[in-house]
Amino acid sequence: MAAQWIRKAISPKLGRVRLYSSKVHKCTLIPGDGIGPEISAAVQKIFDAAKVPIEWDTVDVTPVRGPDGKFGIPQAAIDSVNRNKIGLKGPLMTPVGKGHRSLNLALRKEFNLYANVRPCRSLEGYKTLYDNVDVVTIRENTEGEYSGIEHEIVDGVVQSIKLITEDASRRVADFAFQYAQDNNRKKVTAVHKANIMRMSDGLFLRCCREAAGKFPSVKFEEKYLDTVCLNMVQDPSQYDVLVMPNLYGDILSDMCAGLVGGLGLTPSGNIGLNGALFESVHGTAPDIAGQDKANPTALLLSAVMMLKHMGLNEQGRIIEHAAYDTIKEAKYLTGDLGGTAKCSEYTDEICKRVASQIK
Amino acid sequence: MAAHSVLKYVRPRSIVPQLCRCTSTLSAFEIQHKTPTIKKVMPIPKAHYGGRHTVTLLPGAGIGPELMGYVKEVFRYAGVPVDFEDIDIDPNADNNDDLDYAITSIRRNGVALKGNIETRSTEAGVLSRNVALRNQLDLYVNVLHCVSYAGVKSRQKNIDIVIVRQNTEGEYAMLEHESVDGVVESMKVITRSNSERVARYAFEYAKRHGRKKVTTVHKANIMKLSDGLFLETSRAVAKDYPDIQHNDMIIDNTCMQLVSNPHQFDVVLTTNLYGSIVSNVICGLLGGAGLLSGKNYGNHYTIFEPGTRNTGTGIAGKNIANPIAMLNAAVDMLRHLGHKKHAVLLQDAINKTINKGVHTRDLGGQATSREVVDSILKYIKIAYN
Amino acid sequence: MALLVRNVCKVLSQATQKGAGVRTLHIGAVRHQDNFIEQQGKVKCTLIPGDGVGPELVLSVQNVFKAVNVPVEFEPYFLSEVNPTLSAPLEQVANSIALNQVCLKGILATPDHSHTGELQTLNMKLRRNLDLYSNVVHVKSLPGVKSRHQNVDCVIIREQTEGEYSALEHECVPGVVECLKIVTAVKSQRIAKFAFDYAVKNNRKKVTCVHKANIMKLGDGLFLQSCQEIAELYPKIQFETMIVDNCTMQMVSNPHQFDVMVMPNLYGNIVDNLASGLVGGAGVVAGASYSAECVVFEPGARHTYSEAVGKNVANPTAMLLCSVKLLNHVNLGRYAEQIRDALNRVLNDGKVRTKDLGGQSSTTEFTTAVINSLR
Repeated sequence: MAAQWIRKAISPKLGRVRLYSSKVHKCTLIPGDGIGPEISAAVQKIFDAAKVPIEWDTVDVTPVRGPDGKFGIPQAAIDSVNRNKIGLKGPLMTPVGKGHRSLNLALRKEFNLYANVRPCRSLEGYKTLYDNVDVVTIRENTEGEYSGIEHEIVDGVVQSIKLITEDASRRVADFAFQYAQDNNRKKVTAVHKANIMRMSDGLFLRCCREAAGKFPSVKFEEKYLDTVCLNMVQDPSQYDVLVMPNLYGDILSDMCAGLVGGLGLTPSGNIGLNGALFESVHGTAPDIAGQDKANPTALLLSAVMMLKHMGLNEQGRIIEHAAYDTIKEAKYLTGDLGGTAKCSEYTDEICKRVASQIK
Repeated sequence: MAAHSVLKYVRPRSIVPQLCRCTSTLSAFEIQHKTPTIKKVMPIPKAHYGGRHTVTLLPGAGIGPELMGYVKEVFRYAGVPVDFEDIDIDPNADNNDDLDYAITSIRRNGVALKGNIETRSTEAGVLSRNVALRNQLDLYVNVLHCVSYAGVKSRQKNIDIVIVRQNTEGEYAMLEHESVDGVVESMKVITRSNSERVARYAFEYAKRHGRKKVTTVHKANIMKLSDGLFLETSRAVAKDYPDIQHNDMIIDNTCMQLVSNPHQFDVVLTTNLYGSIVSNVICGLLGGAGLLSGKNYGNHYTIFEPGTRNTGTGIAGKNIANPIAMLNAAVDMLRHLGHKKHAVLLQDAINKTINKGVHTRDLGGQATSREVVDSILKYIKIAYN
Repeated sequence: MALLVRNVCKVLSQATQKGAGVRTLHIGAVRHQDNFIEQQGKVKCTLIPGDGVGPELVLSVQNVFKAVNVPVEFEPYFLSEVNPTLSAPLEQVANSIALNQVCLKGILATPDHSHTGELQTLNMKLRRNLDLYSNVVHVKSLPGVKSRHQNVDCVIIREQTEGEYSALEHECVPGVVECLKIVTAVKSQRIAKFAFDYAVKNNRKKVTCVHKANIMKLGDGLFLQSCQEIAELYPKIQFETMIVDNCTMQMVSNPHQFDVMVMPNLYGNIVDNLASGLVGGAGVVAGASYSAECVVFEPGARHTYSEAVGKNVANPTAMLLCSVKLLNHVNLGRYAEQIRDALNRVLNDGKVRTKDLGGQSSTTEFTTAVINSLR
C-alpha cells in the first residue's frame, strides 16, 4: 500500500526501477549439462550488470534414484521451483536407454507446464533466408500425441492414443489470447487438422473459438496444419501468434526456429499452473563444452522472457536490446553465427551496453 | 469398439512377416538350423507399385547381356509395365560381394530374370553363382515345360513334357574334397524334406494342369540309399494323388526312351543332376538350346531363365544367338506377375515368328538375332492394330 | 557338418562384405524406337476434377493433351464431399480407377464437420478402398521459379492409410476426446520397402526415415524399426533417421541434405507442405498415390484454393506436372517429354506467370503459353 503511494510520489521512470529493486525475487537456476554452466554464468553476469533484482537459487538436477527405484529429479530441485514459482534452465542431457524418464518430461509433469511459448524473431545482423519472421508459437504441452499411452494390441500392431481434453485445450487457448493481448500482438491463429481428426482437433478448435470470443480485440483465424507449413516457408510475415496441440507445436516451433537461424537463437518458456520454467531448447553441445565457444543468446533471451513474465519489463527490454544490438553490430559473434568471438567476449559486450543504459 | 475397429488393420495377416520379428532375436544361422520350420528367407512385400513391377535382371555372361537387351526392347515396345533393376556379377571377382547383392536384390523384388552366370574364379570360397543363387534363395524346384514348335524342324514332333527337377541339393551340394592325394570325394545329399517338397510340387502341378502321369527318374538300383530315399518319398507322395498315374524309370533307360519314344512321358520328376541331363536331351530333340525357358520356384522367390543353362560364350556378340529362349522366360515371368494381356501378346508374336520360319542358325535358318527380334516387334505391332 | 560350416561362413561374409561392387549397364544391340504406342489403342484414365479450382486446372490439362494429341481417353467423375448430391458414388469411381489403373485427380475439399457424423473423409475412404498406401511427392525446384532455396530435389514418401488418420476417435467422457494412432509392422515395412525401391529405381542415394520415436516409443518406434529392418536389404543405399521436429528445422535451413524421405501419415502431410512451400507453393508440386495395382496422380500439396474459384488465377503447373508423370507411367514418355519441355520453357521465359509466382497472367493465358511453346 505504502509502496503505491511512493510510486506516485516520485518520477515514474526512475521509480519503477527503484520499486522493483527494492524487492528481490528468488529464482531457481538449473544450469544444465554440457555448455549449460557456461551460458548460465554468462546470463548471470549480464543480469548483474543490469542490476536485475533477482537472487539465483542454483540447483542440480542430476538424476538420483528415487524411492521407487527409478531415476528422477532430486526432491531439492522440485522444492526450489515450487517455492520460487519460477525457473531458468539450461540444456539437459537425457541419458539414452530405458529406465530413465526424460528429465524435461519429468519437469514438465512436475510443474504442470501446460503451455510452451516460443517467440521466433529474425535477428538483424544474422542473415538467414528469411528476414521478416516474427511469430510466437504456443503449444499445448501436457496431452495430445505425447500423452504416452501406447500399447501393442496384437503382434505388429501398435496403437497410440492422442488425448485431447476440454480443460487443457481451453487453458492453452485462453493463455494464447491473454499473451497476445499482453504483448500487443494482433492476431492468433489456431493450427489444427480437424478435417481429418474431426473430434479431437475439433474439440481443440472449439475451445479456441470460445476463447476468441472473450478477447474481441485480438483477431482470430483457423488454419490447417499443412496450410500453415506451406505458407510459413513462403511468407512467414502473415502469421503472428500460433496456438496448437502438442505435436503440431513441437514441429512448427522447431521449424520457425529453423527460419531464423536455429535453436541457438530462440528462447522458450513453459507456463504452468505451479510456476513457469524458461529454458533454452538447444542441445548440450558436449563437443564445445568448457571451451568458451558457446552462444548464450537462447538462454539469455529466455531469461528476458522470464523477466517480462515477472513484470520486470524495463530490465527485460534493456537486456534484450543490448543483445540484439550486439548481434546487429556483428563485432562480437560466436562461432555458430559465423563470428570468431568467445562466449565471454560476447557476454562482456552485452554487459557494457547494458551498463551504459542502466547508469 | 476401438479394439474392434483396430482389427481391420490386421487383415493382411497372411503376409504378416512374423519372421522379421524373429530376425531381431535369432541370427540367420539359428533360423536355418535351430528352427527348421522357419525358412531362412523372410517374406518381404513385393516390389509392385501402381501396377508396375520391379524385377531383378541378371544378364550373366556370354550372350546373356545381348538377349537381355532384346527383352528390354520388346518390353518397351509393347508397353509392358515392368521395370528392371540391372545387376552385374563380375565373373572374375574372388569374393561374393556381387552375388550377395544380387541375392539381396532378388529378395527385395521377389522375381528375377537371369542369364547364365559364369564363375571363373577358382578360389575355394567362391561358389558357383548359379548354384549359390538357387541355394540361398531356396529355389527348390526347377520346372521346364518342353513343347514342340510346329515350325521348327526336329526329329520328334508333338512333344509335351514337363520336367520337375530338384534344384538345391543332390549332386550339386558342392561338397567336394580331396581325402588323400589323387582321391577326390564328392558328396551327394538327398534329404527327405526336400524330396517331399519337390515331389509334392510335381503332383500338385500335374493335378492343376490336368496331367495324367508322373515319372520319377532315378538310379536307385545303384545308389540304393540316396536315390532310394528320393524314390521312396515320391511313391509316398503319389499315394495322396490317386488320380495321377505314377511310375519310375532308371536314368539311363529314360534317356534311351526319350530319344526313341518321348511321347510316353508326361511329367518327369527327378533329382538335380538327372534333371540337367534329361532337360538337355529333350531340348536337343526339340531343336536346340535356344528355345525353351525354365522357371525356378521357391516359397517366396522365383527366377526365370533360359531352359538349358548355357552361356553361349562362343557366339556372343556375333548377332546370331537365338533370343527366343530368353523371351520365353520373360513371357513366363509376365504370366507369373499376372500381366496376362502382355504375356499373351508376346507369346503370340514369338510363336508366329518361329512358325513363319524366321530362324537363327541354331535352328537351321539364316536370320540374325536382330531379324528375329524385328519380326517379333512386327507381330506385336500387328496385334495392336 | 561341412554344409553347416559353409553356411556359417556365408552368413558371416554376407554380414561383412556389403557394398562395393561395380555396376554397369548392358545395352546390347538395342535399337531405340518409341513410336509404337501410336498404334496402340487409347489409354483410359479416370479423371476426378475435385473441388475448388480443380475443374479449371483439369481443363487446362485437357487442352494441352488435345494440342499434343495424346492418346489418353479421360473418364471423368465428379466426386465431392462438400457437394454430396452431385457426387458420383464412391464405389463407381473406385471401380473405374481399379479398372483403368491410372487416375488424374484434383483435390477434394474436406469439411471440418461431417453431416453424417462420420469420421472418415471421402479422401480417406477412396484411399482405403483402393489401398493407395503410398503418397509420393517429388519436390524439385523449377527453372525460373524464384524461391528462397535453389536446387531443392527431394522425394517425400508418406504412408497414408494408417497412423493418425485412422479416423478412430471417441469422446470417453464429455470434454475428453481420444484419437487413436495405429501403426502396424506390415504397413510400415511396406512403405519402407516402397521408399527404398523408389530410391533404387530412380538412382537415389539416401533414404531418411522421419519419426518421433523418442516420444512415441512404441508407435513410431515400430515404424522406425521396420524401416531399419528393410534398410538392411539395401546395402548400397544410405539410411538415416531424423526426428520430425528437427527435420522441419533442417528442411527450412538446409533442404539439400535430403534425398528420399519416408514417414508416417501426419508427418508426411506436414513435410509435404513445408517442402512445397520451399520451391514455390502448392501450385507447382506434383504428387502421386500408389497402391500395388493403381496410381492416382494429384497435386502434391493438397489445397483446393477455393477462394480462387472462377477467377481464372490458379497455377496449372502442378496439374500439368501430374499429367506428365501420368504419361510417363503409361509408357507415353515421348508426349511427357514434349509437355515437360514446353512447361519448362514457359517457366524459364518468365513472361507468362500466374499470380502465385508473382505474375499477372491468368490460368488460360498460362495454358495457352504452354501450348504455344510445344514443339
